[in-house]
Amino acid sequence: MPEINAGDTAWVLTSTALVMLMTPGLALFYGGLVRRKNVLSTIMHSFFILGLVSVTWVLWGYTLAFGPDTGLGLIGGLDWLALEGVTGAPSEVYATTTPHLAFMAFQMMFAIITPALISGAFAERKRFKAFVLFAVAWSTFVYAPIAHWVWSPDGWLFALGVLDFAGGTVVHLSSGIAALVAALFIGRRTGLVEPATEPHDVPMTVLGAGLLWFGWFGFNAGSALGANGLAANAFVTTNTAAAMAAITWVTISWLHKGTPSVLGAAIGAVAGLVAITPAAGFVTPAASILIGLGVGTVCYGAAQLRLRARVDDALDVFAVHGVGGAFGAVATGIFATTAVNAAGFDGLLNGNPGQLVTQLIGVGVVGIYSAGMTAAILFLVNLVTPIRVAGDVEETGLDLAQHGEIAYQP
Amino acid sequence: MVIAALICFAILLVAWIVAPDGRAKPAPVAAEAEAEREAVPVAA
Repeated sequence: MPEINAGDTAWVLTSTALVMLMTPGLALFYGGLVRRKNVLSTIMHSFFILGLVSVTWVLWGYTLAFGPDTGLGLIGGLDWLALEGVTGAPSEVYATTTPHLAFMAFQMMFAIITPALISGAFAERKRFKAFVLFAVAWSTFVYAPIAHWVWSPDGWLFALGVLDFAGGTVVHLSSGIAALVAALFIGRRTGLVEPATEPHDVPMTVLGAGLLWFGWFGFNAGSALGANGLAANAFVTTNTAAAMAAITWVTISWLHKGTPSVLGAAIGAVAGLVAITPAAGFVTPAASILIGLGVGTVCYGAAQLRLRARVDDALDVFAVHGVGGAFGAVATGIFATTAVNAAGFDGLLNGNPGQLVTQLIGVGVVGIYSAGMTAAILFLVNLVTPIRVAGDVEETGLDLAQHGEIAYQP
Repeated sequence: MVIAALICFAILLVAWIVAPDGRAKPAPVAAEAEAEREAVPVAA
């Protein structure tokens, strides 16, 4: 019978609170990037999801993602519906030195932030009502199955050997791909002029990025599920990759556009955090420097390409989370070492090229599934209630037209 | 208890579908602020 360890429990609960803070942080990060007339609606999309998915996760999300498998490694059963049987005693499967409820709550915070990430792609023109329905369906039919495939010991991608320490594929790739599909589905904002709309409040975005960086220590180091050396490794690799990606992004944009962009520092840091997420507990600090350098370069290029492609992924969710998540998953297949984590596998550079192939399979499967299911959900939601606001509402701004409030008094 | 919790959520879900879709008029506080600003004499 597993026994509760006080240190591990304290760390997992603390990490849960850290990850919770990331969603309000994301709200500020996104809120600063949009126009003044849409800042409240953008913040609301993240903040409402904090409430919405907290409830759906307790009711059915957790059991679908982590409940005992139904037999094919595709989805959990309903044994833990509304957390029946999930108690303060440890699980025999997950985080066995902490209360089962603590592990459930930790995973809840991941489930919350993932659909919130998507909201940035079709910001400034989606109806709140439609987004709420989309978020319920997406977290149920996309997030929960993918989490089960990758993180449940019975999941088929877990059995295949896909490594994802804290959600590079489950959280970032899935939401990044969904963001691209959503941007294509809803279409460009009306009256958009290039360069894409200027952020209305860069300090707000930098504050949001700072909160994300802070919370990410819980996201990644908390995923060690114990107060131990693996958590410390994940903590250090997380900070190092974020730092390297931030200074890389700034340097490239400085050379490219002539000025060291503050916004670039914030977005670069987030790209680094995304890329190290699947790798944090499998790679060394030195490898995290290379991952930060690589993702800062690749995501900057992806953001520039997105502008040329004229896809109106308003807040570059695909370029940062989709591309960054895929990059991190592949990098894990290159740099992973069992010297850091004996429960993982070696990667390409440590004599196991097969792990890189496995990671590519994971990226492909998750990307295709997320794209297909997101398109289907958007189509169905659009039948129930239009996803896009009317032209005059878009012109007025969603804050006033959809929420009856404004962020800044005249 | 589980069934009751699920029903509660289902009621909210229906409410979201049938709820009015925002408001097109300016919020009272914004309208008042605008009115106050217009009321101030130019010379002031």
